[in-house]
Amino acid sequence: MKNSSDLYKQICEYLGCDLNSEPCKQIQDYIAECPNCEVYVDKVRKTVNLYKTIDNCDDIPEDVCNKLFISLNIDDISKSDNDSAR
Amino acid sequence: METRPQLTEEELVERAQKGDHQALSQLVINYRSRIYHLGLRLTGSEQDAEDILQEAFLIMVKKIHQFQGNSSFYTWLYRIAVNIGLRKLKSKPHKYQHVSIDDPDIEYISSVETAEWPTFDFNQINQKQFRKKLDQLVEKLPDIYRTVFILRDLHELSTEDTSNILQITPSNTKIRLMRARNFLKEELEKLVDKEGLI
Repeated sequence: MKNSSDLYKQICEYLGCDLNSEPCKQIQDYIAECPNCEVYVDKVRKTVNLYKTIDNCDDIPEDVCNKLFISLNIDDISKSDNDSAR
Repeated sequence: METRPQLTEEELVERAQKGDHQALSQLVINYRSRIYHLGLRLTGSEQDAEDILQEAFLIMVKKIHQFQGNSSFYTWLYRIAVNIGLRKLKSKPHKYQHVSIDDPDIEYISSVETAEWPTFDFNQINQKQFRKKLDQLVEKLPDIYRTVFILRDLHELSTEDTSNILQITPSNTKIRLMRARNFLKEELEKLVDKEGLI
């Protein structure tokens, strides 16, 4: 079971606040009487994690890549590496 | 076959500043996906994301000799891309009406936050449809909140880097992030209640 100090820090972290900021001070005041705060933090964490899960930054359309290098007038060295390897 | 040595980012930047096209190409390769997805998240449009990508790297190539290393290279590049994205957003009407954002109400939290969420099960969710709804929620956020959420939570930049890029104070970054997260959590809750997604 977390103590109120841990929970307070955790809430502030997930809310993105400084520990000394006004919203966090308000949280600190309420925390002792707030059995639902941990549920709240958990939901914020799950929301952020959900967005991270769906936000896949790995792929970029190939034609977009090709057009980029043409507009920059430089060679895509990742392609020349692949060509050399063949 | 000649292999290129693995260069650090500083070495790549230094070489690119001297006109080394291979170093420039490597910098583009290192950041193209992140800049494209940053643009996609900011604008919600593939065409705008492509425009942002092209414009940001054109500026990078043109101005890289002016980069003095006062911030990290990616902070410098992200700032260029974010500025282009925000300028683009200002020039066109928004798809969704932006919401007004308030701080979370502590009394409200303490009185109603009772039902826990189980872990989201993507196998049980129509992913494409669900993702579209999540995207719509992000697009409802006013630009100043959405930008912070994208940089801090999705691209995992630090508070300091996010503040530098957006040229706001770290406190402002944190408050905007708190409000954005809270808004998304509230909206997701409505979605969950309404559609039983988890």
